[in-house]
This record gives sequence, structure tokens and C-alpha cells, in this order.
Amino acid sequence: MEKLDVDIGIIGGGLAGLNASIAIGEREGEVALLDKGNPVRSGSTAGGVDHFMAYLNKEGEWDTEKAYLEYVKKVAYGIVNLKIHKKVFCDELEEAIRRLENVGVPLTFDGKFIRTRSFGQPGPYMINFNGKDINKKLARYAKSQGVQLLKRMIPVKIFKLSRGFGLLAFNYRNEEFYCLRSKALIIASGNANRLFESPHSNPFNTWQSPYNTGDGHVLAFNAGAKLANMEFARMTIVPKGFSAPGLNAFMGLGARLVNSKGEPFMERYHPDGEKAPRSILVYACLTEIIRGNGPLYLDCRGIDEEKLEHLLQTLGLDKETLPDFLRQKGVRISEELLEITVSEGGLSGPVEIVGAGIKIDENCMSSVPGLFAAGDCSDQMKCVHMAVAGGYAAGKNALEYAKNTEIDGDVKKEEIEREIERFLRPLEIEDGITYMEFEDVLRKIMSEHVGPFRTEKGLKAGIEKLNRLEEDKDRLMAEDNHELLRVTESRNLLTIGKIMAHAALFRKESRFVPYHYRLDHPETDNRNWCGQVVVYRDGDEIRCEFEEISY
Amino acid sequence: MPPSINLERCTGCGRCYDICPGDVIRMNEKKAVVRYPDECWHCGACRLECPEDAIKFYFPLKMVKI
Repeated sequence: MEKLDVDIGIIGGGLAGLNASIAIGEREGEVALLDKGNPVRSGSTAGGVDHFMAYLNKEGEWDTEKAYLEYVKKVAYGIVNLKIHKKVFCDELEEAIRRLENVGVPLTFDGKFIRTRSFGQPGPYMINFNGKDINKKLARYAKSQGVQLLKRMIPVKIFKLSRGFGLLAFNYRNEEFYCLRSKALIIASGNANRLFESPHSNPFNTWQSPYNTGDGHVLAFNAGAKLANMEFARMTIVPKGFSAPGLNAFMGLGARLVNSKGEPFMERYHPDGEKAPRSILVYACLTEIIRGNGPLYLDCRGIDEEKLEHLLQTLGLDKETLPDFLRQKGVRISEELLEITVSEGGLSGPVEIVGAGIKIDENCMSSVPGLFAAGDCSDQMKCVHMAVAGGYAAGKNALEYAKNTEIDGDVKKEEIEREIERFLRPLEIEDGITYMEFEDVLRKIMSEHVGPFRTEKGLKAGIEKLNRLEEDKDRLMAEDNHELLRVTESRNLLTIGKIMAHAALFRKESRFVPYHYRLDHPETDNRNWCGQVVVYRDGDEIRCEFEEISY
Repeated sequence: MPPSINLERCTGCGRCYDICPGDVIRMNEKKAVVRYPDECWHCGACRLECPEDAIKFYFPLKMVKI
């Protein structure tokens, strides 16, 4: 057992975790960051990313904080807290852009910002940039600031001490257990995928990282933290065969969505057409398919030459292997239509500016004092721009908190032994079930009862089936440490699925259709449901309550 | 199945094993081996990091032919 005491522990080494660690390192706080993979290329941007949302105060009225916050309110109405948004994003934005530039990831091409409009924005908020090495460069800088980066770590359990936290973790490569004590903890473990059946049959063929499995959500939930926005199952539009990201670049640079008759159809669903919010693009595609107008295609042939050239050159920035895929599929997007489909669902917040997960306050702190969250696993941050800006805010705030407290107490030896025994048990089981089988059942239940089409009866049936699947949780077996990693993820995914079903049952309206689409309550009801469904643990029960948000 | 490692080029440096976010690569007799091809996210991190240009992505039929 390796023991380590620090000011702050961080779970998750993607963009949010790295930026949080940098804020602490720069202020000479002691910080250890644990990642399931390697922080040098981890999280959703392991292979790169191409967009960062921002206003720059350079152009028209739309390019200001005021207009941006109006946009945020409009597209995330009912679940975004504007005070928190201003504090964790707007107040940090300028420094975030400077920080990226300083570590060697400028948001410009040849010194110029390339900005595009998409997803319901009033102006071109999306900065197209080369984020191929963003994690690598941030990790290098974090190291230079004294951050301890611990790779290949599975977080096992959070213990609350008299003051501070104990975190038990297992390194699945060197087989050491670690007990990390810290004054504060930051969870930055991203969103949760592999929850719904894939339209492309392989459950790891997901839009966002399949290695994000809600581990941090579950750790925090079990430690008593409240979660919010957990009912929304987010989908996007992807090339048929490959759940690759990149939609923003296509829409932003002028690609059209067309149906099997070759007709563009988006204007029938939203006045912004292809620049509509993502949920509406998805809703329109689902509707076109149901009406018999599929297959659907992406048409890039009308994009003007300069923009098309830029698109072709930068296509691999958001998904490194997308150009290989298109080549092997035999589609030249400058000349041919590209067939698209609606992706699998995931837990990642319904809009580009609000996440699904640990409910945070203006200081990024959860309902458990000293436990902070940042990035996609929090309920008020989402995407690259907020992971970079808000991650840093979480780091600063956690260190401020840590200044006024000491570590007091230790995790009891028996408790650690009990947890280790429970954690390693799948390695001893021989006649059990595999994580593949377990997860296939989970995804089947989720896809048939929990989304995207929801009813009270269906959700209740789903919850009952998920409860029955839970009985098999202790029969999960693992042949080696890789399988042990997957088993841990499978268990967390089941908990996330159950929480999503409970929250979806609780919200008796529809919002961000089809991300929360109650066929028995199909309208958005701002009179009664303008606010968040907050989920918490009460013994072994999952409880929901409603917290109103007024604007 | 992706990724595919060219064993003639692979020097066994272990960089892809060290970097793969999904733990799908193993080292076997000083060569990198894709141990869990079905669990690959095609993020391309291994190819980006490979100093020998030994990694290529070949998408399976169930991705390119559906």
C-alpha cells in the first residue's frame, strides 16, 4: 500500500482535471492527479479536438459576455444557473485562452481566429483550432508546476475523514493500492457512455469516450453528493458506421442535412436550419426517418471552396481517424453525399454549456464540503471551453478551501481491507458472468425503456429490470486486471443507468427533446418544471427532489 | 481490426501501450499487440505517439459497409 498526503487530490486527467491541477500547482499547492489512462492523452480529447466556444469582445454586440449569457439562458433554459456560469466560465475565459496560448495551443490559425456559428448561437462563437496535442501540452506544463500525475489508476472509494478525505485507488498496471489523503478532492472524470445500444453494434463505437463511465459520479454520489441533470440522454448526428464527433465543424462551415429525396429539411424544424441547437438537429433526423424519408445524408457539396478546403484539412482534428474512415468507406465529401445516422445516447448534459452530474455551486463545490467537481461530470460545465476555464476555477477554489483546513483522521485499516477484498473479488469468481454480457443487458434495458422515448410505465419497467440486473453485480468475474477495470466500469454504468431512469421518471414534462422526451408528457412545462431534478442517495435508495431556477 | 501494428516497424518501445486510453494494447515478446480490438475507440492516440510510424487504422466491414 502506497500512502500519500497532499492538499488536493484530483480524479480524472482530461482537460478539466489538468487545468484544475495547473491552478493548484501554479500556487504551490501539493496536488496529485489520478487518471484511469495516461493524462498525456486522456479523456474525450485524447486524440485531439477542434473547437472552443467563446465570445471575444472583438466584433458585434453578439460578441460580448452579455449576449453570450443571453444565449446560454436561451439554449439551456430551465437547468442552467447563470450566476455559476458567469463565475466558472466568463470570469475565467480571458485567462483560459491565454493559458492555452502559453502552453503552445493557440486558438488561432496563422494568428487569425477562425470562427463559425452553430448550435443556435447568435454569432460565430465556435473557434476552430488545432487541439491535436492539447492534453499533452497541458500535462507537460502541469508537471513543470509540480503536479504529480499518477496514471493507470482505478479510483475505488472515497472515505470521509474527521477532516479531509481518504481515497483508495488501484494501479492496474503495477498492482499497487494507493491511499491518498487530501484536504479537498476534485472530481473531473468526464461524462458516461456505453449506456445505450450503439446503432453500429459495437458498444465501444461511441461519439464520446467509451472509457468515460461515470466513475466519479458514482464515487461522489456514494459519498453523499447531490447530482443534477441526470435525466438527459444526449445524442448527436454521426457518419453511418462510425460514431465520430465533428458535427460542429460540418454544420458551422455550411454543410446541409438532406433526406432520401435529396431535400434539405432542417428549415421545417427550426428557423436556424442546420445552425439549430443539436437536440433539434437530432429530433429532426429521427422524425425524418420515422416519416419514411431516410436514409439521411450530409451534403458538403455546396460549401464554398475556401471553407471546404479548410474543412478537409482540419477534419481529423476533432477525430484523428475520421479521414481514414471516410477514405476506407470510399466517400469523397467534396463530391458525394455522406450517409449519417443518429448516435447512441450518453449521459453528458443536454447542451454544450451544461453537464450532467455532480451539482456544484459558484465555487465548484458539491453538496459535500471539500468535494469539488469540474468539467463534464459537473452539472454546470460542459465541453472544452468550460473544462479549460472551469477546471482552473475549481482548482483555485479547492486550494482556497484547503488553506483553511487540515487533514485529520485516517481510513480505518479494516475498512480498507474490506474494500480491497470487495474490489478484487471478481478475480476469484469462476462461474460468473462477463462484463460484456452484463453490459449488453444493461444497454438493452436502457435502450428499450429509458430512452430516447420515455413513458411512466416504460421507465418503471426499466427500473425494475435494472434492479434485477443489480442482483448479478456480484457475479461479475474478471480474468485479469484489464477485466477488473471493465467490471468496475460496468458496475458504475448500472448505477448511472438507474439514476438516469429515476430522474427521467421524476420529471413529468419534456425538455430538450429528444434528450428527455416523455411521450406521456410531451410538452415543455416552464411553469412547473423550470429547474433541476436533483438526485441523492438515501441509504440504498435513489431519491429525487426538484430545485427551481428562476431567471 | 483497428489499430494494426506493423511488426516489422515496431521496435517494442511501449509508447502505445503507455498511452492507450482504453488499455487495449499489450506488450508481447517486445512487440506491441492489440489485445482488445473491439474495445478500441479509434481515438488515434497510439498512432499520434508512435515514433516509428508503425500503426495504421483499418476499419472493419461492420463500420465501412453498413
